[in-house]
Amino acid sequence: MTRRGRHVAGQALFYLLIAVIFVYLMFPFYWAIVSALKTQAELIRTPATLWPANPVLDNFRAVLNNGRFLRALLNSTIVASSVTALSLVVGSFAGYALGKMRFTGRTPALYVILAMTMFPQIAVLAGLYAVIRVLGMPAIPSMVLSYMLFTLPFTVWVLTSFFRGLPASLLEAARVDGATLFQAFRMVLLPLTAPAMVTTGLLAFIQAWNEYLFALTFTVIDPPSRTVPVAIALFTGAVARQEPFGEIMAAAILVTIPLVALVLIFQQRIVAGLTAGAVKG
Amino acid sequence: MEGPTTSGGAGVAAGPRSGPSRRRRQPSRLARTEARTAWLLLLPTFVILAVIAFYPFSRVVTSSFTNARFASTSTSTEFVGFANYRRLLSLTVKELPKVVGEDGQPVLVDGRPQYESWVRVLPREPMRYRSVFEFSLLGRRYVVGAVTAPFVRAIWDTSVFTVVAVFFETVLGMVIALALNREFRGRGMMRAAMLVPWAVITAVSARIWEWMLQPTRAGLFNTLGSYLGLNDGRTDFFGNPQLQLPSMIVMDVWKTTPFMALLLLAGLSTIPSELYEAAEVDGASKVRQFFSVTLPLLSPTLAVALIFRTLDSLRVFDIFQVVLGNRRFSMASYTQDLLINQREMGTSSAASVVIFVMVAVFAVLYIRTLGQRSIE
Repeated sequence: MTRRGRHVAGQALFYLLIAVIFVYLMFPFYWAIVSALKTQAELIRTPATLWPANPVLDNFRAVLNNGRFLRALLNSTIVASSVTALSLVVGSFAGYALGKMRFTGRTPALYVILAMTMFPQIAVLAGLYAVIRVLGMPAIPSMVLSYMLFTLPFTVWVLTSFFRGLPASLLEAARVDGATLFQAFRMVLLPLTAPAMVTTGLLAFIQAWNEYLFALTFTVIDPPSRTVPVAIALFTGAVARQEPFGEIMAAAILVTIPLVALVLIFQQRIVAGLTAGAVKG
Repeated sequence: MEGPTTSGGAGVAAGPRSGPSRRRRQPSRLARTEARTAWLLLLPTFVILAVIAFYPFSRVVTSSFTNARFASTSTSTEFVGFANYRRLLSLTVKELPKVVGEDGQPVLVDGRPQYESWVRVLPREPMRYRSVFEFSLLGRRYVVGAVTAPFVRAIWDTSVFTVVAVFFETVLGMVIALALNREFRGRGMMRAAMLVPWAVITAVSARIWEWMLQPTRAGLFNTLGSYLGLNDGRTDFFGNPQLQLPSMIVMDVWKTTPFMALLLLAGLSTIPSELYEAAEVDGASKVRQFFSVTLPLLSPTLAVALIFRTLDSLRVFDIFQVVLGNRRFSMASYTQDLLINQREMGTSSAASVVIFVMVAVFAVLYIRTLGQRSIE
């Protein structure tokens, strides 16, 4: 083979590899869409087909008329937004202190935060349940509170490294102008951290939106408070005869599309946030 | 000007009214204010963590030494020492004798010797042991027995799951990262596609895979399998014990490979291209370049990614609980089942502590690799 021929063959192989990777990543999602568009009869017909014979929106209609699912969607939105907002507020205080201030105990505090980012949820489950019973909290606020177990240390950690990266001269200038530490934080540093807040907030939101273990456990005695992952995991259709996979797939797509859209819009930032820390930079 | 005197360093202390001393007192007051403000700012974080992590964990540790029942009205819980841990972790290995016929010869079925059931071999007092699995070694047959067979099996299964899943994620993640590290048309779209599996809710992705792996040809894999002549189109991926773990691994690999690839891609982009040019000039092949340039320079990123994924896999809960329920457990799903369905709060707490210790080992590794890099 000529040199040029080898090059062309190499290119073709490379694009084949790319195509295989693309199909691998996207196929389950594609399959969920195709299945959601099939009628119940076609869904259980064997063998399965790659494309619906006559696409219908029945499954989507059924899911959007399912009160329990809509309630779960609302619950998830409330829980994930509250957790994100709280983590950002509380986390930015801590991140500022750890990233920009000098004090005894800073290094141990940082180690505690880093260790907490890996704390296994299952290790506190029984104790957390006891705390919630003592406080008499309903399921939704207790999810908001307990999700901070994984969103807060992560938020503090990312914001700390971001605050540290801001030039100290900014802060000194504000202090020289007579601003207190709090004012310097609010008026000088906070506006500058907006991009980091968006990234961290998105990642915290996604983590909270995804959470299953606490949600499943805390809503056992309170089914109306179920969030999306629990609702979809325990999904039963109008007919309890068999698992309504058409509707489950429709529900899966409905909850995934907004998230995928969000992720694609903020793609660059999310990748930067995910890989921060893992790569020396 | 004499440098040393104007620098106002520590230990100058010339006299009560001299400049350096005044300057020394002022920063210290400032420093104290700063320290107070810092701790004030950290207070909410630590209060929240105390309520949702430190205190609950101390409760879990305490109740792991009791016979507490979950959500029970009776208040009579007793201290039982290490009984819960003993029950969870007791293991024994016994040889299974061959079944001997009336003639004193081993009974053969299809030319193979038959072995006694584990029921007759494993101890029953003081605690009843059950079989976790059996294995053959050097022509003898052994049984591994445990008091809480499901938990011991869950530890084993979770470990196998972790090792195999993390291995495939790393290899596939590396392939994807290397492919995407080149400039080509459609690279942006590929990078976007990588975020799709990552963004799908884990419990939801488990249901999508559950549908694709249906035990009839309504499922994708059975349809494909029957077209390709690999099976009869009735493979029960979740019912067949030998296929349960591989199914979980396939799901997890799909969901988390993109994350691995993203981390590795970020690591690859920090390797200066001059190194490859130099290697090219030296006549190193692509394979040689990978092992001599890429891998060594990527190893810090790889280490962090590996430890991070291992930590995550050891805690796996969602896919096991959603798809397998109580047919097969991961450590976390068994612990949750013990607490909620069996209401064994004491035993469940002990299981939590066991998981905590296992995760902690890897967490220490992680903190050592990552922490020292970014804290100091």
